[in-house]
Amino acid sequence: MAIIHAHRLRKTYPSGSTHVVALDDVSFDVQQGDFVVIAGRSGSGKTTLLNMLGALDRPDSGTLKVAGQDLLSMGEAERANFRLWHIGFVFQAYNLIRVLTARENVAYVLQLQGKPSRERLKAADAWLAEVGLEGMGDRRPDQMSGGQQQRVAVARALAMSPSLVLADEPTANLDTHTGGELIRLMRRINEKNGTTFVIASHDPAVIDAAHTLIVMQDGRIEQSVCRD
Amino acid sequence: MSAVAMGVISLIFLWGFNDGVHNTMMRNLQEVIVGSIQIHAKGFFRKPSLQDTLEDVPSLLELLDRMHVQRVAPRLRAFALAAGRETSEGLVVLGVDPRLERTVTRLQEKLDRGRYLEEMDRASCILGQTTARNLGVDVGDEIVLLTEDRYHVLAAEKFRVIGIIASGEMGIDRGLAIIPIRFMQAWLDMGQQISGLVLQLPPERLEAVTAALRQHLDQRFEVLRWYDMYPMMKQWVELENGFYYIFLSIVLVIVAAGIANTVLMSMLDRIHEFGVMMALGCSRLRLAGMIVLESVLLGVAGMAAGCLAGLALVSWFGRHGIDLSAQMDTVSRFYVDPVVHTQIDTDHLLVTLGAVLLAAALAAIWPAVRVARLQPVEAMRHV
Ligand SMILES: Nc1ncnc2c1ncn2[C@@H]1O[C@H](COP(=O)(O)OP(=O)(O)OP(=O)(O)O)[C@@H](O)[C@H]1O
Ligand SMILES: [Mg+2]
Repeated sequence: MAIIHAHRLRKTYPSGSTHVVALDDVSFDVQQGDFVVIAGRSGSGKTTLLNMLGALDRPDSGTLKVAGQDLLSMGEAERANFRLWHIGFVFQAYNLIRVLTARENVAYVLQLQGKPSRERLKAADAWLAEVGLEGMGDRRPDQMSGGQQQRVAVARALAMSPSLVLADEPTANLDTHTGGELIRLMRRINEKNGTTFVIASHDPAVIDAAHTLIVMQDGRIEQSVCRD
Repeated sequence: MSAVAMGVISLIFLWGFNDGVHNTMMRNLQEVIVGSIQIHAKGFFRKPSLQDTLEDVPSLLELLDRMHVQRVAPRLRAFALAAGRETSEGLVVLGVDPRLERTVTRLQEKLDRGRYLEEMDRASCILGQTTARNLGVDVGDEIVLLTEDRYHVLAAEKFRVIGIIASGEMGIDRGLAIIPIRFMQAWLDMGQQISGLVLQLPPERLEAVTAALRQHLDQRFEVLRWYDMYPMMKQWVELENGFYYIFLSIVLVIVAAGIANTVLMSMLDRIHEFGVMMALGCSRLRLAGMIVLESVLLGVAGMAAGCLAGLALVSWFGRHGIDLSAQMDTVSRFYVDPVVHTQIDTDHLLVTLGAVLLAAALAAIWPAVRVARLQPVEAMRHV
C-alpha cells in the first residue's frame, strides 16, 4: 500500500527577477514500511520535497496524498493537525525545546495530542529507553551531546505514533561514528515496528542503509532504486 | 518582572499614602465634631430651629441599641448673640452632654487652653479661639448669651468661659459656643427635648446603619451621613482619587511596555523553537495563547513581589507614620495630621492588581500575533 503518492509536484521560488525551480515534475510513491533515503547534491531540492511531504510547505502544482489524505486541499489548521497525528519530524539540529528536559521534550507532542500526563511521561521514558537514552530523561538539551539530542528527536518523532517519520539530514551535524549509530537505530526501529521513514541526506552511511534510494538533481528525480 | 514589581510597589505605596491621608481627613472630620451620622427632625439640617426637636427619642435610642450603635450623644442647638468685653457676635450655641459627647467626638483634644466641660458644669462655655479673640475674652472671663427660648421669649444668661478651642477649622474656631445640654434645656425651657443625635461609627458600618435607620424611621426624621451634610471633603477625596486613577493608567502603560519588551525579546529568541513546535503540530492559536499566558505569569510574579513589598512598606509606615510636620502647617486646617499613617483601601488594591494583570495580558497581544503569523519553515531557519 502506498503511504505517499506524489504526482508531478512542482515548486518554484522567486529569485531576483527570475525564479529557481526547486522541484520540477516530481512523481513517486512510497510504500508503507519502506526506508527511503533521498540523496542528491546541495540545492537539488531534498528539503523542499520533504517539507511538501510533511505538510510544511505547498507545491505550486501537482497532487500529493500522504496517509490517504489530500494535503493540497487542507487549510492551515488542518495541516497542523495532520502533522500532529501523522508526521514525526527529525531535523538536522536544534530539534529540541531548550528549557525542557529530554523527557518533557518527548512528552510535549503527546500533550499536544491530548494524552493524559501520566501516560505521557511513561511513554516518553519508554521511547527514550528504546533509543538508548535510558536514565537521561532529566537532562536538558545543553547537557546532552549532539548524537543524544538527535536520539531524543527520534524518540519524540516515534512517540507520536506517526504514519511517517521525515528526517532532514539527521546526521549532518554528527561525526561519522555517531551518525552511523543514529541511522542504524532508525533502521532497526523501521524493521521492528514497520514505521515508514523518509530521510533526506547525502551522508554515505545513510545512503548505505536505504531500502529505497531516490537520487535528486536540479529538482528532478534522477534515479530511484529499490534494493530487495 | 522587576519593572512590574517596581510599578506595583510605587502604586501601592502611593495609594497607601493617599488613602492614609484621606481616611484620616474623613475620620477627623467625623470625630472632631460632625460625627458619622446625625439624626434630626426632617428638614432641621437645612433650616435649624430650636422648636424642631427630635421626637420619640427613647424608642430611637432603643433602636440604636438594638443595632449595636454604642457611640451616641444628644445635642441641642440654638442661635444666639454673644456679648463679650468689647464686642458682640452672632454664634451657634451647641448644647452637649459632657460625658456622652466624649464617646462620640474628640473636641476636648482640640482645647488650646482651659478645660473641657464636665458633668457638674452649669453656666460654663467653651469658645473657639477666633470668637474669643473677637469678643476680647479669655478663660475665666464671662460672656452673655442672648437668645429666644422655646416660646420665643428673650432669654439672656451669663456664662463663664472655661476653655478655648483651637482646631484650625474655621467653622469651629469661629461662631461656636459649647455649653452643657442640661443647663441649656432648663435655660430655654426645653424640658428633655433635643435637636438631634450624633452617632460615631466605624467606616465599614456607615452605609449599612444609614440604610437600616432610614428604613426604620418614618417621614418625621432625617438621617444624614457626614458627607450628606458636608459633601466638600468627600468630593475632594474623590477628585484626588480620580487623579490617582490617571496616574495609575500612566504607570500601567509603562508596566505594559516593560512586559511587552520582555515578552518580545524572549519571543524573538525562540523563533526557531516556535518553528519546531509548529512543525510538530502545535496550532497557531495554542502558540499565541502560550505567549499570553507567559506574559500574564510574568505579570503575576512581578505583581506578587511588588504587592508583598508594597504592602510591607504601607504597613510599616502605617505603624510608624511619615512625619511631614516640617513641610506643612497650613494644611492642618483640612484635618490632615502632620504624621501620615499609610493604609490602603481594599478596592484600590484590587483595582491596581487587576489593572496590572490586564496590562500584562494586553502587552502580550502584539508578540502573540507575531508568533501566530510565523511560517514553520521560515521560523526554523532562524538559529
Ligand atoms: N525559501 C526559499 N527561497 C528561495 N529559494 C529557495 C528557498 N528554499 C529553497 N530554495 C532553493 O530551492 C532549491 C532547492 O533547495 P533545497 O533546500 O530543497 O535543497 P537541498 O537539496 O535540501 O539542499 P541541501 O543539501 O543544501 O540542504 C535551491 O536552489 C534553493 O536555493
Ligand atoms: Mg536541505
